[in-house]
Order: sequence, then C-alpha cells, then structure tokens
Amino acid sequence: MAFAPVGPEASFFEVLDQHRASLLAALRRGGGEPADGGTRLASSSEVLASIESVIQDVLTSLARNKAPVFTIDNRSSWENIKFEDSVGLQMVPHCTRRKIKSDSPKSVKNFALILKILSIIYKLVQSNTHATKRDIYYTDSQLFGNQTVVDNIINDISCMLKVPRMSLHISSTSKGLIAGNLRYIEEDGTKVHCTCGTTAVAVPSNIQGIRNIITDAKFLLIVEKDATFQRLLDDNFCNRMSPCIMVTGKGVPDLNTRLLVKKLWDTFHIPVFTLVDADPHGIEIMCIYKYGSMAMSFEAHNLTVPAIRWLGLLPSDIKRLNIPRDTLIPLTKRDQMKLDSVLKRPYVTCQPFWRKEMEIMADSKMKAEIQALTFLSSDYLSRVYLPNKLKFGGWI
Amino acid sequence: MEGTAVAVCEILKYLIIHWKCETGVSNGALLEGQLVISMEALNSNHQENTLHCVTTIASAGSTYGGLVLKKFIKEIQSILPGFSAKLNWTSEEASSSQDISGVTPFQMIFEVDEKPRTLMTDSLVIKNFLRRIIMVHPKIRFNFSVKVNGILSLEIFGTKNEPTLNLSNGIALVINYQHYVSRPKFGAAQLLCSRIHPVLGHPVMLFIPDDVAGMGSLGELILTPAAALCPCPKVFSNQLNRVSSVSIFLYGPSGLPLILPSQKQPTTTVFEDTSFFIDWKKYHLCLVPNMDLSLDRDLVLPDVSYQVESSEGDQSQNMDSQGQTLLLFLFVDFHSGFPVQRTELWRAHTLLTVHLSAILTESHSVVQDSIQVTVDQALEQYHQDAKDHQKLQASLSVAVNSIMSIVTGSTSSSFRKICFQALQAADTQEFGTKLHKSFYEITQHRFLPHCSCEVNQQLLPEKNAEQSTEDAHENSSPELLTGTSEQVENKRLKRGSLRRGMEETQAFHSARAPSQLEAAARRTEPAGAFPTPSGSRASPGGGLEDSLWLQEVSNLSEWLDPGPEP
Repeated sequence: MAFAPVGPEASFFEVLDQHRASLLAALRRGGGEPADGGTRLASSSEVLASIESVIQDVLTSLARNKAPVFTIDNRSSWENIKFEDSVGLQMVPHCTRRKIKSDSPKSVKNFALILKILSIIYKLVQSNTHATKRDIYYTDSQLFGNQTVVDNIINDISCMLKVPRMSLHISSTSKGLIAGNLRYIEEDGTKVHCTCGTTAVAVPSNIQGIRNIITDAKFLLIVEKDATFQRLLDDNFCNRMSPCIMVTGKGVPDLNTRLLVKKLWDTFHIPVFTLVDADPHGIEIMCIYKYGSMAMSFEAHNLTVPAIRWLGLLPSDIKRLNIPRDTLIPLTKRDQMKLDSVLKRPYVTCQPFWRKEMEIMADSKMKAEIQALTFLSSDYLSRVYLPNKLKFGGWI
Repeated sequence: MEGTAVAVCEILKYLIIHWKCETGVSNGALLEGQLVISMEALNSNHQENTLHCVTTIASAGSTYGGLVLKKFIKEIQSILPGFSAKLNWTSEEASSSQDISGVTPFQMIFEVDEKPRTLMTDSLVIKNFLRRIIMVHPKIRFNFSVKVNGILSLEIFGTKNEPTLNLSNGIALVINYQHYVSRPKFGAAQLLCSRIHPVLGHPVMLFIPDDVAGMGSLGELILTPAAALCPCPKVFSNQLNRVSSVSIFLYGPSGLPLILPSQKQPTTTVFEDTSFFIDWKKYHLCLVPNMDLSLDRDLVLPDVSYQVESSEGDQSQNMDSQGQTLLLFLFVDFHSGFPVQRTELWRAHTLLTVHLSAILTESHSVVQDSIQVTVDQALEQYHQDAKDHQKLQASLSVAVNSIMSIVTGSTSSSFRKICFQALQAADTQEFGTKLHKSFYEITQHRFLPHCSCEVNQQLLPEKNAEQSTEDAHENSSPELLTGTSEQVENKRLKRGSLRRGMEETQAFHSARAPSQLEAAARRTEPAGAFPTPSGSRASPGGGLEDSLWLQEVSNLSEWLDPGPEP
C-alpha cells in the first residue's frame, strides 16, 4: 500500500466495499464502459483538417453565390437531450439544429465570431500552445463583448467539429480543489501529492495529460461548497476516514473538476458520493456531476459519473436528526421553480429515492445548509454524520 | 396687378373649397371630379411683345352641381380685387351647345395681356400648383393646355390608381416616390420599392398671435405633420444611405397648397432657420436653405427646401451619389364645432397664407415637439438601417480576416490551392479582394433595410403597361401590388401635325422659356373642348408630319432662346 493507514478499521468500510462490488458488477453487466457516442479526442492534424473543411465549405458557398451558413446542433433545447442511465444526459443522434447565416442581420456577427475563434484555434493547434477561454476573450474583448459569447461559441465549435474542447487547445481554468489519498504526475512532469492535511491541491488544468495516478481511496467525496470542504480539512476528515479523496468544485463545477472525477471513476471505480446542501441548488450541482448539464450534453460521455450517490444532506435527515426548525430556511420562489424544474428532468424518474427526498423538501417548503448540523455539535458533520453515513450505507 | 397664375390658383382654391362645402362631401370622403384649364395666347394687336391671353376654367361632368353661378363669380371677383381682367361666366345653356366632349356645366373665362415670359412662368406655376393639389386629392384630375399662337401643349394631371395614404378630413397623400424625387441614378433593376412610407405625427393646435385679427371666433387650426424618406430605403439596398436634402410641403385647409412660389416671402421666413423646428444635430446633419428651386421640373416642388452640407469629416463620402430626401408635409386644417362654412375656410386659408410664420412662431413649442417626434420616427428606421449596415460591414470584415488568417497560415498546399481555386484567385491579395467582394455581394441584396411594403419592380413610366390596380392605403402591413401602378400624371399628348398659322414666333424671341420642350404643333381646336384624356399617347404621323414636327421644334427653339428683338 502506498500510504500509511491512519483511518478507521477495515470493517468500517465493509458496506463501502460491498457497494463498490455492486457497482463493478453493474458495469460488467452493462458491457463495460458505454460506447463513446459524442466527442472524442482528436489529434492536432484532425482538428486542423476539420477547420480547413469548414473554410472550404464557406468558400464553396461563396463560389456558388450562396450565403455561407453554419449549422450547429441545438444544445439549448431539451428536445435534443435524452437520458441514459449509464451515461446521463446526452444529445440525441438526430437532433434539431440551428443555422447561423452570414446574410441575416441577427446572426451575421455570430457567424463572423465563429470564424474568428476558429482562426484562433487554428493557430493554437498549429503552434501546439494552449489558451483559456478567458485568454481568447481578451484577444479582442471589444469585438466579443463579454465572456459568455466566447464560451458559447467555443462550445458550439466543439459541438460542430465533434471534438472535445481540450482537443481545440482551449484549456479550462480550474477552480476546484482536491485533498486526500491521491498522487499523480502532470503532463509537464510535475509530481503532485495530495495530502490529508489542512491544505488542498488545485485541480490540474490538463486532466487528460496526468499520468501515474495512484490511490488507495475507498471512496471519493464530492463536496459542494468550499466552506464545507475547508471545514472537513480542518477537522482532519481525510486522515480520520483514510483512505479517501475529497474534491470540491466550489459550487457549480468547472470542466476540469468534472473531468477529474470522471477520470478517477473510470480508472479506479471507487464509490463516489456527494455532500451538498439540502436545497434545490445543491441537488442541481449534484445532478451535474452525476448526469451532466444540458449545455455540455454533447460531451456527456467524457464528463458524467452516473454511479454517483447522494450521501447528504438529505431532506429526510433534517427530520431524522431533529435539526432545529429555526436553523432551516424557507424555500424562495426561485428555489421552488428550480425544484420543480429538477423534478421534471428525465433522470429523476429513475431515481425514486431522490424524488422522494425532493418531495419531502417541496412539502416542507424548507431547505437546510450542511452548516445546520453544527447546531447539533460543531464537529457533528465530520465526527458523527459522515462516518455513520459511510459506515452504514446511508446514501441513495 | 395679379398675374394669371395667381388668379387661376386662387380660383381653383376657391372652387375646391366651395365644392367641399356645398356638395355635401362628408368628412373623410375624397373629392372627385375633373377640371379643364386652358390658356390661349395670341399676339396682342395693341401692344408690342405682348400676348393677349384668354384663360378658361371649366368643369367636366356635373361636378359642380348646385353652384350658383352669378354669386360665385361675384365672390371670385371679391377675392381677386386687384385682378383687372374681365371675368366672364358662361351660363350652362350657352356652354352646352359648344361642348364637344359632352358635358361642361360651367365655364369661366378671363383675359389678360401678358409678356411671353410671364406667360411661361405662369404656366409653370399653375402646373406646379396642380401637381400639389393632386398629391392630396388623388381623385381630382386636371386637363391643362396652353396654346400660344396656335402651338398647343396639353397635359393631364391626375394620380388615379396610385397608392395613397389616407389622412383626415377628406384628403389622401399620394405615396408614389416618383412625384417627389427624380429617379435615382442607377438602373431600374435595382429599384425595389416605389413608395414612400410616411409617418404621421401627432396633431397639435396652433396658437394665433394677438395681433392677427379675426380668427378667435372661428375655430381651431390643427397642424398634423407627416414625414417620409424618399425614395424608400429599400431602393438603396446597394447604396450607402444618407439624407442629402429636406423638402417641406405646406398644405392648408381642404388640402390646398398654402403658397405659390412667388408668394414665399414672408410666409416661409420661419423656415429660414433650418433648426427652428427640428434638431438636426442628433442625426449629424447640417442643413442650409436651398434657394435653387427651379419651377421647370416634373416633380412636386416643395415650399421649403434644405440641402445637407457635407462636413469636413465626410470628404471621403461620394457626394456625387444621390442621397435620400426627407419629405416633411405640414397639413393645417380648420375645425369648428359646427359644419364649416365656405367663408370660414377661405378666411382660414387667407390667414395662414399671410401669417403662417407668425402663427408657427407663436406655436413654436408644440409644433416643434410634434414635428421632431415625427421626423425622429421617420429617420429611426433610417438610422437603424445605417447601424445594421455598419454592423454588417464590421462583421464581414472579421469573417474575411479570419478566413485569410487560416488560409494564409495553413501549411497544407492542397488546402490553399483549393481555396484559391474556389474563388478563382491567382494569389493571396486577389483571394482577399475576391473574398471580400463575394461576401459583400451575397449579403448586400439580402441584407435589406426594413421596408414594410412588398417589392415592386418599378419600370420606367414610358414602359408601363395599362394595369388596373386598386387604390392602396399605406399601413403597417404590406400591400400586395398586382403590378406596376398606372401613372397618369403628366401624360403629354403630343399631336403629330403642325398648324400653318403659327408664323409669328419671333414675338417670343425675347421670352425666357423652359428648357423642356412642351408644345407640340397641331391643328387648333375650339377653346374649351378637349378630348377626354384616354391615357394613351398619340404617336406622330407619317413622314411629312415628322418633318413638319421637326421644323416646328426648331422654330420653337427660337422661341425658347433669347434672341434679337424683331
């Protein structure tokens, strides 16, 4: 074993080990990893050829005296999204598409910006350099207007060319943190040793490039909020529950954090659990890790971990633990709308326990943050709640 | 002494006012009818270099049923006190026996002695006046003929079946652009919309200055502005839109032009300050009054005209290219709580004709607000189109540069070759030029400025086929035209053969005549009996007539050019 054991006894992880075994069995029954139906890693020459093909199409249209048009899958429509238990949300094979015309006042600017970013990507790939989306925005901030425009066009190009963003040499800025039983080497040779101490390591910006990943973790805990993550670090949770890995995306996760979780699951098939607030926002964040987002559904195969389980804070825990009512917060109108929206999503139907928990929340019209547990005791979360949950299989 | 032109115009005004009041035409309904005006001039036997001119105004049809002849002519004489000409009124019985065309219930004749130059000017003034009337009274037609020593020129003024925009109180604005500006300098194929699209402004009540007597008890004067860009921006789909001039048309009650060209001062002094009513700076326009308003044009002449001054920053702009004209119509109507009397209307008209500047100055604030909002709305789309055009240009530039960056930066020779071949370019520079041109050409004619009307392939007037189209009313939804609109206005019937009795043309040598040849020689016809306009052109006759015609033209050219006195 690579790390000195400091955690609980082996019997503590019995249920976890059983859970892992069942996950592996399910994987074997499902025929291994699902076939990659979406984007796939592409070589530099393939990316350059794809871009050149786009340019040739534009010139062919011009030569025929026709206005060039880009046809892009409609990523923002639920009609084009389907749910598969093994994958999560993904785009349907023959989805509706939208046209970005060069002769329409409404879309001519978008048409031009797509060409602009294609030319930037072309140069990045040719020179084998990378840039973040923010870098691209700052190449001509006045032209682009705002970051969201750049982000959307990059996603559109990724969808159009059917290559993941990393193949376009556009790196994502990581904001996530890792801690625990994990060691790897980054693309540039940097050795990273995530510790179980009070400090955490930033999620690397090039997940595809990391190698020599080593871990003995019995589970991976995804923590919604940075505050909770830090609290667990301060309480020495990683050592007490060792071997384990903790990850936080600090809210809605960035691409690299999701890629890391996905990579760890694909490589080690360790059980993945989420610790989120008992509110609609937390549930949605959890769903992003598990099933993916509509916006990135075209890359679902690279990003989703359908095996994720909801560890806490469950709405049913609130009643079970007799958490004081005055620590709870009423659901706002926005919360209600989000909760209704999540309840209508296709994946909820195959998660009857999740649905039940959401219905408890809807009925009580109350939400709770993880910090509500501190009213029981200051270290209730790390010393009682989580250990009990993990030991006795309190996940859904 | 008032000239023939003033007399004719005043009589026509009074006739129309009378017609409106006496024939019971309800508010909102358009006046309909036909008037015949003829001027026959012969060399005076008593004065040298002078023409004795007999002017006849007659009605065709029973338009003026109910007109009390003697009373009417007395009233006419009272409104033209300075007119020393003898006014004759032919009774209904007497006129009908002479009538060839069939029906001329009334006819009035007056005679004056005039210099040839004055006659020509009067003719042009009258024609302009008739054009102004038919622009708002589309169902009235005028047959106007001038015969000078046997040489006849006949024109028909009417706008039947042309698209109109209904205004209040029985007038409708003709919205065919060709009445207001000459045809743009590019080919017919690029004309995509033959209409103007007026924006109607909010009516405002005018305040009468205290020193202007007599109006307080009569009613209210209401001004309604209307503005439109001409031609429609769609015409300029391949051109850079810019406003190059502003034309202002003043109409009084009953849709009658307020002033004649000779009466402009001091009526229009209020418009000498181009920004008195409109803030042009917000459109980056600098305007100066345009004093060069030649009468000798087939267009409806404005009462006030401004020219856009090019700024120093616009030197790169092609100032030779024809810009758009902003048309501003100011309609002043008279309202009282009772059915309006003829005398009230006439008094209101006279008041406006004399005191328009004072009234508009007194009402400056409300008039300015109303006109500014109207102009803003009319130019709003113009500016939006200009912005869209700029946006398109900027976007195309980005697209072209991006493609150039990829093509020129590619290490794949096959890819570069394919790209160059696609646009048939020999090198990078040519590729870039052709790329830009291709994008521009493809996007331009589709990236059209907003226009709510349907595309109307407008042919040149001479090529128009006779088609029947309904009178169309301008509104926000597109009007589907079945084809080219029939243009009846200014049809000139040119007769083929000459009259031998037109020897004494040298009397006109000193006359300054319009550069445009109007008269065609033909045998004379009895005064007042004109054939009903058929809308068709009579073509010149055989070879002898052609040569005689050409000779007549050359003779007339002597008449037109100043020459030595006989």
